[in-house]
Amino acid sequence: MAPFSLFNKTSDINGFYAMLIVNRLQILYFILILPMYLVHPYMILGIVIIGIFSQINLILFSKWFTSNFSGQGYSAFVQLFGERKFRFFVLFGLIPMLLKIIVLTLNYVEAIHQFIFPSMNMLWLVLAILLISFYVSSKGMENTIHFVVIAFLFSFWVILCFIPFFFPPFASLSDLYPLIPTSWSMNSWKSLLFLWSSFSGPEYLICISPWFKRGQTIFKYLTYGNLVSVVEFLISFISSLLFFGSNYLSKTNYPIVTMARYLQSPIIERIDMILLSLHMFHFVFIISFLILSFYGGIRIVFKRVHKQTTRIGFLACCAVIFTSIAVVNQWFWEPGIKDNLWLSLEIWSSSVTFLLVPALLLAAIKLKGRSLE
Amino acid sequence: MKHLKPVLLIVILSSNIFFTGCSPFVDNNEIEEIAPVTFWSINPGAGGKLEISTLGPPLVKEHKRLLSLKVDLLKQGGKDFNLKYYRELKSGQLRMVLINEELAKKGIMPIINTLLTDPDISQRLYLVIVKGNFDEYIKNQVKSQPNLDYFLYRMLRHYEKKKQGEMSIINLHQFKKLLYSPFSDPILPVFKAQQTNFIYHGTAIFKDDYLKGIAHGVDDQIFQLVNNDYYLKFLPIPKYSVVLGNIRSKVHKKMNENDSKLSIRIDVNGRIEEYRGAKDIQNSIELEKFNKEIETYLEKQTLDLFKNLQQLQADPFKIGTLTLGPISKPMSEKEWLKHWKTLKVNVDYNIKIHPLTSVHE
Amino acid sequence: MFWKQSDRDKSESHRDKRAVNLQNLKEMLSNMEDAEIIERETNNSEKIIFIYIRTLINQERLNEAIVVPLIQSSYASVCDCITNSKVSILSTLKEAETQLLFGSVLVFNQKQNVWCSVPLKNTTGRSIETSETETILYGAKDSFSEQIETNITLIRRRLPKTELKVEKFTIGTYSETTVMLMYIDGLTNPEFVKIARNELTNINFDLFFDSSQIAAFMEDHHHSIFPQFLQTDRPDVCAYSLVMGKITMLIDNTPFALVAPITFFHLLQSPEDYINRWPVASFLRGLRYISFIISITLIPFYVALTTHHYEMIPLQILYVLVESRSKLPFTPFWEAFLMLIILEIIKEASLRMPTKSSQTLGVIGGIVIGQAAVEAGFASKVLIVLVGISTIAAFLCPNYLLTKANTLIQFIFLIFSSFMGIIGIALGMIGILAHLNGLTSLKQPYFAPVSPFYGRDWLDLFIRGPLIWMKRRPEHLRTLQKWRYRSRR
Repeated sequence: MAPFSLFNKTSDINGFYAMLIVNRLQILYFILILPMYLVHPYMILGIVIIGIFSQINLILFSKWFTSNFSGQGYSAFVQLFGERKFRFFVLFGLIPMLLKIIVLTLNYVEAIHQFIFPSMNMLWLVLAILLISFYVSSKGMENTIHFVVIAFLFSFWVILCFIPFFFPPFASLSDLYPLIPTSWSMNSWKSLLFLWSSFSGPEYLICISPWFKRGQTIFKYLTYGNLVSVVEFLISFISSLLFFGSNYLSKTNYPIVTMARYLQSPIIERIDMILLSLHMFHFVFIISFLILSFYGGIRIVFKRVHKQTTRIGFLACCAVIFTSIAVVNQWFWEPGIKDNLWLSLEIWSSSVTFLLVPALLLAAIKLKGRSLE
Repeated sequence: MKHLKPVLLIVILSSNIFFTGCSPFVDNNEIEEIAPVTFWSINPGAGGKLEISTLGPPLVKEHKRLLSLKVDLLKQGGKDFNLKYYRELKSGQLRMVLINEELAKKGIMPIINTLLTDPDISQRLYLVIVKGNFDEYIKNQVKSQPNLDYFLYRMLRHYEKKKQGEMSIINLHQFKKLLYSPFSDPILPVFKAQQTNFIYHGTAIFKDDYLKGIAHGVDDQIFQLVNNDYYLKFLPIPKYSVVLGNIRSKVHKKMNENDSKLSIRIDVNGRIEEYRGAKDIQNSIELEKFNKEIETYLEKQTLDLFKNLQQLQADPFKIGTLTLGPISKPMSEKEWLKHWKTLKVNVDYNIKIHPLTSVHE
Repeated sequence: MFWKQSDRDKSESHRDKRAVNLQNLKEMLSNMEDAEIIERETNNSEKIIFIYIRTLINQERLNEAIVVPLIQSSYASVCDCITNSKVSILSTLKEAETQLLFGSVLVFNQKQNVWCSVPLKNTTGRSIETSETETILYGAKDSFSEQIETNITLIRRRLPKTELKVEKFTIGTYSETTVMLMYIDGLTNPEFVKIARNELTNINFDLFFDSSQIAAFMEDHHHSIFPQFLQTDRPDVCAYSLVMGKITMLIDNTPFALVAPITFFHLLQSPEDYINRWPVASFLRGLRYISFIISITLIPFYVALTTHHYEMIPLQILYVLVESRSKLPFTPFWEAFLMLIILEIIKEASLRMPTKSSQTLGVIGGIVIGQAAVEAGFASKVLIVLVGISTIAAFLCPNYLLTKANTLIQFIFLIFSSFMGIIGIALGMIGILAHLNGLTSLKQPYFAPVSPFYGRDWLDLFIRGPLIWMKRRPEHLRTLQKWRYRSRR
């Protein structure tokens, strides 16, 4: 049997993939529920502002990619933090990663459960999606990174389906008023936090930093990715405002899917089922990417970095992920997405990681640079 | 060590099956085993119950009959039908819900919410208010017209597609959006069911989810003209024995600075389709005069309609949205309704009739 | 296992070392009816021995080209005497055997006491005919035949350049099949040549009678249903591929050449694409992609809709469907499964049947299966229509191996869709795409211009861009010469 290698590097990947991955990571799940958290028309401005903040964060982050450390992968981190401390960091990082996988999978499956198979046992869907993700990730990190192109091609154009909502009879300008916040409450802060966590995701690029081509201006591509995300968020939010109106929007679950349900084609009605299925491409890519990162993290924690990857190790990781999802689903999950404890946890954790990871890396590089002098 | 891998695999797989249980599906949706219902007709029953009925079997060329039931809850009806009929009735293809006028007066929110929360049911479900006994009509017609429900659906679809201003067709989503937005109130089409006829009657005007009034006849025409912003196929004005046709219309609604006066200017651009009056409309001066008369008449009618609406505290024309601005703080719904009741309305018609040169005496 | 191999090697090496003499040769040729050993005397009364295998040489030319000149000559050596072909002097018995079996005549000259071999290969075989597997309306009509020399000629005529290199490999312990590895020096990525050389020398098997077997040994993924080498019998396709920077392998005794590295998209491209006007060619290519997708998803989609998602069907169509399905004994899955299996049987039968009885097949297939199945209530009319569409759509794909693979994918999708409806089809799609994404052909990514992404190559991917814009060679082949034209300096 050929050796089972997941983290082989045969060729460099260029910034183009960084762009796609950043965009897909940011869009992912939140696009399905984003509008119902923002609700007020003035949050259009919120999207733009948070997009700019995210851009600033990406500037910090791109400093890491231009530094000498990024290409070296594991050894660079060991150099920066020391092995023991780094393993501790990784252990700490595994928690938000696992949380992300659990929450995203369960939320997406819940959407399918609600709109396509109301009578199906949710765990079957989880199993099916995870199995296919395991398959994708078993092809190795490089192939998984390449898979983003396919995921992008199959899911990107979905946003274009909402363009008709920008035209009459759906659209009336009054649905977008007022554009300036006239009152501010705790909920508005929450919406902004939610937006910030929606923009999170690019921090996971550090898991694949050794694959990137050296000396390339990744920053440019990160900017593009971020920009595309902002545009997608804007399209989805504005079109849902036009479709529902602010008041009705606050009372709708999965507004984007509901909008898709309203679309019709002459051959097939209920386009939402097809669109939701297509969203799975996107979703499976992210999950497989996270699974591989998770496995890589586990290997670092257990000091297995320099050994060959094994099927058993990988399968064990998959089993751990599935089991944790199953356990959460069975005993701790409350259906419904509003005021869901797990979703809030995920929002907080992803916001914190997105805020801290670039800053931490930059600080470490600066400190190291000073100590070398 | 050698057997570790298969053992591990079996453990993982079996634990998966243990977790997930065996059968993924409990629902049978195979189309030969189900009967997808295309419409529900909901009537008030005795003692606060609902009486729901549909035509069965749907879609198949079999002998059809009216199935009806008295139930407490809408979905309960769905279940009880299955006990009554040999195929399982499913609501995924539900296209029309016909609600009795009497029921609508008591509020239709529970019905609407039930329909809305069912993920099987399309948002494009047509809602119709029925005056009279629809079941009776179905019973009489089912022999001569077995696919009655289908044709009814096609009719509603036809008039929805290109809004020609003949009927106000509203689907579930539109109703809900109108209902929830603070500055508008929903409307629905009203059909009159007689023994052998089922005819469009007018537009039902709601305040929240309560049916408050029905605009029919000329009122409905004006309603269409104001609501349907761009085109009207026919505008009959029986008082002046005239039918205007192919009307391109433009409605300008304007609120003054302090939101105390609403002025509506309606530009109508069409031609005379039919005239049975005594005037010599070939004569341009006469025509001008005639034009003025129609304008004054329509202005008066429209003002009456608005007065009525103000009295009902209903705002189906979304007048309230005119008070909104990009940077101003919006009124609350209560404030607006108070405001709406006392709002001054000014209506101005601007009719242009194409000269009738092709007709010679 | 190990000792067997070493045993054989020992006897081989033993034979290698043995000297060429009449006795050894006779021993070698014992019990071979078609081997002939003839002794003659020349005019100078020297003894000359001819050894050859009758069935492998051109007997008509034996006399005039070898025997007569030698007998009548007064020259000193065989080499001098026979001038029109390459005469080599043999030193070992192994050499003698190889030459003999490749259609040479062994000549022994007593005076010089050397064994020489004179090639006199018999070239009976098909003449150059039109390709039947890749028919096109316009464009060159010639195709490869079984003779490797002829095939090389066909390519060489198209590429008269010394940079076109041909390397010879002999593989197969019993078949001794000649494989010619062709590439353009200074253009083709040397990595491909290196990998191909390596793979070819490592092949260890007894008999090859088709190029697909060689492909099977060289493939990186043996269990995939997708062909990783392009099999073509068109010299123009080979020439085009060579110029684009691919390698080509010609195999003796088979008309199909192997082209590598290919991508999945090559399987859906036809040589005719480059003959049609570009908008037309793009349209046709798009049609091919669409019909490929239709052929694998249409029936599963039908099953998904009729078993799980009745609410997706527009009411107008639902009327037709319910009407035609209401009296069927089978569930949609079994209905579709049975019809597809029957269709496959018909397709397979029509391949095997003699042409004269194929008309019967058409009648049985068309009337009995189609019409009668509906009337008897085994299948719905809608399904028959869909099966017909998807079958015809499958034939739009120019690659026959992919057409066959299609059916298998369709069945897999069918099971997925009956199990999980639309979600099942999406899962299947992801699986197939992930599989394609992980495949390699000659260690190069199989899904290439898409993933990994090469934007410039998209000009000749889903559309066929105008030729004047395609001035660069495909980026994913990483050729040594990037531009397709020579700058006029």
